[in-house]
Amino acid sequence: MHRLWNRIDFAFSSAWQNFWRNAAVSVASVLIVWVVLLALGSLLLVLHSLDQIVALEKTKASAISVYLADSTPLSSAMDFKLQLEQDPRVSNVTYVSKDQALARFRQLPALDPSVIDTLGTNPLPASLDVTVKDIRNLGAIDQAVRTSPLVDRSPATNYEPNVIDKIILLARVAGIAGLVLIIGLTGLSVFIIMLTIRTAIYLRRKEIEVMKLVGATDWFVRWPFIVEGLIVGVIGAVVAVLIVGFGYRPAVINLQSVLIFVPLAFDPSYLRVVLAAMLGFGLLLGSLGSYLGVRRFLKQ
Amino acid sequence: MATVIPAAPQISLEHVQKTYPNGTVALRDVTLEIPKQDFVFLVGPSGAGKSTLVRLLIREEKATSGIIRVEGQDLSRLKRRHLPYLRRKIGMVFQDFKLLPNLTVFQNVGFALRVTEGALRHLKPKVEEVLSIVGLEGKENKFPDQLSGGEQQRVAIARALVHDPRIFLADEPTGNLDPATSWEIIQLLLQINARGTTVLMATHNREIVDVMRRRVVAIEGGQIVRDEDAGGYHAPALESH
Repeated sequence: MHRLWNRIDFAFSSAWQNFWRNAAVSVASVLIVWVVLLALGSLLLVLHSLDQIVALEKTKASAISVYLADSTPLSSAMDFKLQLEQDPRVSNVTYVSKDQALARFRQLPALDPSVIDTLGTNPLPASLDVTVKDIRNLGAIDQAVRTSPLVDRSPATNYEPNVIDKIILLARVAGIAGLVLIIGLTGLSVFIIMLTIRTAIYLRRKEIEVMKLVGATDWFVRWPFIVEGLIVGVIGAVVAVLIVGFGYRPAVINLQSVLIFVPLAFDPSYLRVVLAAMLGFGLLLGSLGSYLGVRRFLKQ
Repeated sequence: MATVIPAAPQISLEHVQKTYPNGTVALRDVTLEIPKQDFVFLVGPSGAGKSTLVRLLIREEKATSGIIRVEGQDLSRLKRRHLPYLRRKIGMVFQDFKLLPNLTVFQNVGFALRVTEGALRHLKPKVEEVLSIVGLEGKENKFPDQLSGGEQQRVAIARALVHDPRIFLADEPTGNLDPATSWEIIQLLLQINARGTTVLMATHNREIVDVMRRRVVAIEGGQIVRDEDAGGYHAPALESH
């Protein structure tokens, strides 16, 4: 018990001294760990948001809104609706008036209703919301309705054949780019931690010489440097975790007000997973860097 | 302290050869036996191989060929993880003291116990004990640069004594000291030897060797050229009377 305590006490006090003795290098390695973890946390959250958007778009994908020109009389709109309902590919058609469209628009999250009020008039078109039995027929319906004179021109429908594909592609590109960036930064941070440990070993070379001379074991000599790497990892991780932890919610709210039509949501349970992953990765970086440091530079 | 087992020498070298990677042959065919409680001067010119011999005994270097035994342990077969335990049996001092300048006298000596995971409860009494052996009571809180050379070497000796070593190796311990101080250090080594510890001292100090009349092992060009009990620094034939 006493021996264990002595070992822990020696490792931590030496590590802490090392950390401050070459403060500039230590701060550099904390910064790089911080950057890596910030990139990792942001990437995980962005990919998660894109996933959520894809899932939502998929449920919406079996419907399109056919926008009607403002000049279309209600009776014509109803005829058109009936005509569409008779199409065997269509399962359901709902008429949405201009007023209903405006009311719906006001429901959008993070939208300032006064924006609409200042216009004075209602800019939103009435629409027929068409649900199809099979998503694959959506394109054909879109083509068919566009020819009708009743239909608005700008735009005719909200049909965007590859919006999901685009989001999936965006997620994939962001994922790969982020991964490459994080791998690169990980390598860099391990290297910088290794240099930090090497500097600490150099500054302690006299002590290490004496320790070996009087019979300290290899691990007794190594532990302070491993602990120093862990301290670097933990400090970098804690700062990054605080920033992501407190910054995620305001970031989502701000983005919601900019990307009005994108269904972004705050997900606290996923945030906890991300923060835990960041902390774990920080510890991994610190221990890997310092292990490589002592392995390469303490070989007698 | 000394449990005397007859016959088996405490340190033995059989046909030991040491060639450094750059091709320099530091020791050639060295055979030497040192029994328990012996006091041996290792003499010879610079570069003769004295320091190499000392480094081989604490296994800072490995012999190229031949067998070195310390306390019956074949050093060529000693696993790296067992090396620290060999070092704890051997007290070692150097010409340059190797004290840590940012630690006090007490901390320098205690350091040797701390880093070998000795129970901290025993640290204070042990440090006080060895400091009184070397006569440094009252200087516990001084830093090395506040001490004279002789006092610094005493701190190094105290540090080498905390593990109650069975063997004491001194590599030019008086090399940086004036003659009077050198004699004080020698007296201390004799005292340690009298307590049952084997002492091997590599030295250039002719006066001390000549006066002491102890066993002298002379090395030249990596070979033992003379090994006599109660010898002088130079071979009798070369001494002019």
